[in-house]
Amino acid sequence: MSAEGAQAGIPPVRRRFREGTTAAELKAYMTPFVAVLGYKFNTDEEFVRLVLEGELEVLAQTGDIYCPCRIRTGDPKEDVRIVCPCIPFHRSQFAGMRKCWCGLFIRADVDDGSELLGVIEEPEGPVEVPVARAGDMRDGEARRVTIGKRDIAVFRVDGEFFALSNVCRHAFAPLSEGFMDGYTVMCPWHGWRYDVRDGTTDHPDSDVKSYPVAVRDGEVFVTV
Amino acid sequence: MPVKVFALSTCPYCRMARQYMDENAVSYDVVEVDKLDGQERADAIDEVKKLSGGTSFPVIVVDGEVIVGFNKVRIKELLSL
Repeated sequence: MSAEGAQAGIPPVRRRFREGTTAAELKAYMTPFVAVLGYKFNTDEEFVRLVLEGELEVLAQTGDIYCPCRIRTGDPKEDVRIVCPCIPFHRSQFAGMRKCWCGLFIRADVDDGSELLGVIEEPEGPVEVPVARAGDMRDGEARRVTIGKRDIAVFRVDGEFFALSNVCRHAFAPLSEGFMDGYTVMCPWHGWRYDVRDGTTDHPDSDVKSYPVAVRDGEVFVTV
Repeated sequence: MPVKVFALSTCPYCRMARQYMDENAVSYDVVEVDKLDGQERADAIDEVKKLSGGTSFPVIVVDGEVIVGFNKVRIKELLSL
């Protein structure tokens, strides 16, 4: 089908994949991206095949791999949120469902993805969101993670992981770019110091929010 | 009971939902939104947003009640299958 086909009326986007791209190629392309986010392809291979076929049709129609279960509206701000893999835009929602919207991807800690197909209810209450692989961070390293509107800094100290709001209470600098000294992170702009274990600082009424962190099977989870 | 399905031609769950209703001899009207053009398409997207609060498919309307996604349990319930 040509780009003027089913989605006429909305301008095609710049083509990122050559004509004749196959499902196997899409799979190879996406695998490392979703692994970094704590996800993998669904274990139900027949379902994966169906979704990727849908994506290839969408690719032929539009020039990019938009979610086959949602529609381009023509508003670039809305449409960018449905380019596959769309996990970064919906991290807490998908972490709660343990899969992405359509179920093409499941959380790395799910054994049988076929059980999750068709489930779209989001559990209420706090959600554990995979944010990094433990082995990908060194001791003394900080990393910025965005989960929805939350801007979070994840720290590794002595093999343990901690998470704080990434925004310094003084002048809003990113703590993930700060300097680490043991359990202390020093803000990169004016040197305010925070304890990464609980977000406390010696400035009055200026502690930053601390988030619970868990590590399972080499994957770091932050509860939001 | 009037049943209307908003679907995408590319969406596996839309196919699964339609197949399920076909197997159960449910008659329904279907709109394949990605096959529409121009104003018709914009109107259909608006309607889907109004009904479901988003742009995810399928959106199934059974006698005014809205089901988003292929939710077999809800479909069964509303169609008394």
